[in-house]
Amino acid sequence: MAIIEVKGVRKGFDGLHVLKGIDFSIEKGEVVCLIGPSGSGKSTMLRCINLLEDIDAGKIVVLGQDISEIRDINAYRSKVGMVFQQFNLFNNMNVLDNCTLAQKRVLKRSEEDAKKIAMEHLLKVGMVDFANAYPSTLSGGQKQRVAIARALCMDPEILLFDEPTSALDPEMVGEVLNVIRQLADEDMTMLIVTHEMAFARDVADKVVFMDGGIVLEEGRPDDIFNHPKNERTRQFLARII
Amino acid sequence: MSLSKCFEILGKYYPSFLLGVRTTLIVAFIGTFIGFLIGLFVGGIRAIRPDKTARSSSVIFKKIVDIFIKIYVEVFRGTPMMVQAVFIYYLVYTNIVRWDKMFAAIFVISINTGAYMAEIIRSGIQAVDPGQNEAARSLGMSSMQTMMDVILPQAIKNAFPAIGNELIVNIKDSSVLMIISITELMFQSNSIAGTTYRFTETYFVTAMIYLCLTSLSSVVLNAIEKRLNNTKTSLPQSDTSFKSISIAKEDL
Repeated sequence: MAIIEVKGVRKGFDGLHVLKGIDFSIEKGEVVCLIGPSGSGKSTMLRCINLLEDIDAGKIVVLGQDISEIRDINAYRSKVGMVFQQFNLFNNMNVLDNCTLAQKRVLKRSEEDAKKIAMEHLLKVGMVDFANAYPSTLSGGQKQRVAIARALCMDPEILLFDEPTSALDPEMVGEVLNVIRQLADEDMTMLIVTHEMAFARDVADKVVFMDGGIVLEEGRPDDIFNHPKNERTRQFLARII
Repeated sequence: MSLSKCFEILGKYYPSFLLGVRTTLIVAFIGTFIGFLIGLFVGGIRAIRPDKTARSSSVIFKKIVDIFIKIYVEVFRGTPMMVQAVFIYYLVYTNIVRWDKMFAAIFVISINTGAYMAEIIRSGIQAVDPGQNEAARSLGMSSMQTMMDVILPQAIKNAFPAIGNELIVNIKDSSVLMIISITELMFQSNSIAGTTYRFTETYFVTAMIYLCLTSLSSVVLNAIEKRLNNTKTSLPQSDTSFKSISIAKEDL
């Protein structure tokens, strides 16, 4: 059963049509990479799935439920983790508190449980030594790994990544991609907007190529990268690789 | 004006001056603190943007509340505190209850400061990166939880210099509250000057006392601000437990 089904989704901002009928689906445990030029609506698509934006037409079904009909949006969002390009760690608290806050507030976990779970995930992303550090003292790659741990603490059914490495120095990209790769090995369901083509080819079960608000091509990474059918896909990949 | 006369007045009337200082500080500190709480509440409400998913009834309610807040801020910033003090004091005194002057003074300075604080807090909130809000909401936190745990602490830190400034303004501007004859520094000075007929010397002493109070406050406020900005030091270092993967283009 598909964990996310996107059907004919349209979305505009003040007359500008960003999504013009998007269809794709994600199975449980699948890693889907969303690629395409800037302004093609990839990030908007992610934000719609997290209900940070609402859609004008079409349907998004997550875990068998039409998300436009969800009453308890906060409970839904806690199941759909999101990792942002700009990390967005809470600047007023240290790494550990960043990871425990929503656990305590949303999942009503005890301080002790929340800390234990946070430390497990910080260990997984290699940031356990920085539990007491404040975000302003961390490098970009470290911040992003904490942001991933923070999302994992909510036990999400799926993780959405919005260009997780685009704001990083080149040498820090690897440490973040390694964490994502590790999650892929653990069969975490993930939807990743990325410009890291080598990573997408390596880690994705499916690649979706978007341009101008529509899906032009989707398929296995090998097919998309080595035998693209669509002319626009071919152009895009030729320019980027 | 003779300086020796100044010292003479200070020496003779220091108990009166001290009482004035005490009252001034009480009114200024409590007024700033309550004003700050009003500002947090009002500024916080002002900064809330209804969700796209909010019901239309709550959107309309928010708009009405916003109008009332705007009127409050405009009225109290747009009229002199001296006028507010006499008007509110007598309004309540003659129509509702014969209230204590000190209580009236603190009441007036609090709501007056609240109007300024509301704007200070609102701009402090707007200076917080919108990504902070999105991150908290994406984790499932409600808008109220997000405001209390994530946005306001950062907004207060952003706005701290302006908040401290309000305290200094209040130490000086509480002098206008003499109009309802509370025993603050200006009121005391007037009576001392009236007794001694040494107006220049008395008010020189008064000015010096005000200057001492405000300078001391700035020193303390600066120290607090420094502490707020002092983030815990733990220098970033590369984590060697993760090997960088190659993302060379030749891979493709």
